[in-house]
Amino acid sequence: MSVARLDVGGAIEAHGLGGAKDLPIPSELAIAGAVAALVISFTVLAVAWREPRYDPATSGRRAPAWLDRLVSSPALAILARVLGFAFFLYVAAAAVFGKDSLINPFLGTFYVLLWVGIVPASLLFGEFFKAISPARTIAMLFARISGVPEGEGLYAYPARLGYWPAAVGLFSFVWLELVYPSSTDVGPVRLWCAAYLGIMLIGSAVWGTTFLERADPFEVYSSLVAKLSVWGRRDGVLVLRSPLANLDTLAPAPGLVAVVGVLFGSTAFDSFRESTPWLKLVQSLSSDRVLPDTLALVVFSVGVALVLTLATMATGVTSDTPRRALPALFAHSVVPIIVGYIVAHYLTYFVEYGQQTLIQLSDPFSRGDDYLGTADLQVNYWLSSHPTFLAVTKVLAVALGHVVGVVAAHDRAIKLLPRRHQLTGQLPLLVAMVGFTIGGLYLLFAA
Amino acid sequence: MSGRGRTRLAPTVLALVLATTLAACGGGGDDSPPAATESSSSGSGSDGDAVAVTVTRDGDSFTPNGERVELGIGQTLDLTITSDEAGELHVHSTPEQEIAYDEGTSEHEITIDRPGVVEVESHDPDVILLQLEVR
Repeated sequence: MSVARLDVGGAIEAHGLGGAKDLPIPSELAIAGAVAALVISFTVLAVAWREPRYDPATSGRRAPAWLDRLVSSPALAILARVLGFAFFLYVAAAAVFGKDSLINPFLGTFYVLLWVGIVPASLLFGEFFKAISPARTIAMLFARISGVPEGEGLYAYPARLGYWPAAVGLFSFVWLELVYPSSTDVGPVRLWCAAYLGIMLIGSAVWGTTFLERADPFEVYSSLVAKLSVWGRRDGVLVLRSPLANLDTLAPAPGLVAVVGVLFGSTAFDSFRESTPWLKLVQSLSSDRVLPDTLALVVFSVGVALVLTLATMATGVTSDTPRRALPALFAHSVVPIIVGYIVAHYLTYFVEYGQQTLIQLSDPFSRGDDYLGTADLQVNYWLSSHPTFLAVTKVLAVALGHVVGVVAAHDRAIKLLPRRHQLTGQLPLLVAMVGFTIGGLYLLFAA
Repeated sequence: MSGRGRTRLAPTVLALVLATTLAACGGGGDDSPPAATESSSSGSGSDGDAVAVTVTRDGDSFTPNGERVELGIGQTLDLTITSDEAGELHVHSTPEQEIAYDEGTSEHEITIDRPGVVEVESHDPDVILLQLEVR
């Protein structure tokens, strides 16, 4: 869709994984996944525990002292910042001085290594992006130079804003990636990154690093997924938690539902926009597809947020938990569903275009250089050559995400809801979650 | 109570997930041998008749419009292009292929050697003509 792509034979469409995309999953697998989602949901409801099990104040096992020392050591933090910043400068050089072509590694780094890679990195290492974030590194350096106490800004970050700025930032990212026709031109993507960095630096000067925790789309995304890792802290001490117990420590805040809506809605939209009916519809319109695609992206994002809001509020409540607070209190349970669906949707893209990007990174200025010694490597296409294995993996990821989500919601429900609504009060959310999962499977099958 | 719940829940859910997915794998297995055998011999070109598709361009309007076409791995797609001006089609396989066509009617061939969905797209104007389901 971009002019740039015309110039480069053998190049790769940024959103579409080397042009070729995954085959739809077979109908048997989609149906099996849907049945599994239904059965799992009601099994959890029927046989799961009746007393809340997860409590952020007590959950988790203390990590061995040496591990705590290592993870908490300033040396490791500095190493992560230095490596993260060096990589940022390297890719920024490619973005500024490299050619406007699809073999410029800036695009692959931005769309694949950063946007998709943030999920596995955060699942494995916890708050990964926070540790390497170039915006945070610059903000910390500024604070150090100007003598401002670390992390503080001119004003306290308004709690009312919560995650809303991140939701806006995430939406602008997915719009750039999935709707904007020139999403694979270096210029506009570079402009987006410059605006992002500028806003982060100004925001952190005004509101301190709390701003980055709440407004940096990548940091918020990473820290959200990190709640499914084993890494946690309790009173400053490193603890190891089960992903379920760790997920329960996600603190509700305004805008969390919007973040979840954009993350899940946009991934679903990415499947939807490739589907034949939508493709035929937008291509038969006289205008270009930016407007209908934007509308559909909004409908998907708002739709997910709205369904979650309605489904969580449709229950009896006790006097100490207002109904309005419920959507944010249950938003954590959609995170595993998102992660499962992201794995299903982006696995091949990440593995194969990720390799392609590593190869391209050796030649940041498209001159035939081999800085990293990776230029001559070949992409391994084993995954897309085994479509049955791939499809099974996708459905398993979706089903696993669904189980974790349902269990997380169940534990929260028995903690918050009055005893007589504990089971019936869960039903609307359970139906919504089954709907999300089956909807996701349907899109994997139909698109 | 909670301890018992835990011990009961985990195996039950696990068993269900395994059972459904194993059943699905069995089902999928019946379906997949052609794909599996073809992928092992990918590139060598499988047998079977070619699939023929006609593309028509009249100014900025194209037919077909985003049609799904099933294609085997290594199977030939015979593309007949009838156009009132010269242009180029992009086949978004990996690696990408390009098809330059002249005014009038011309014949072209495409083969794809890896499973996946491959779009055949015209640029300027950007229209996706075909989505090849290669398996």
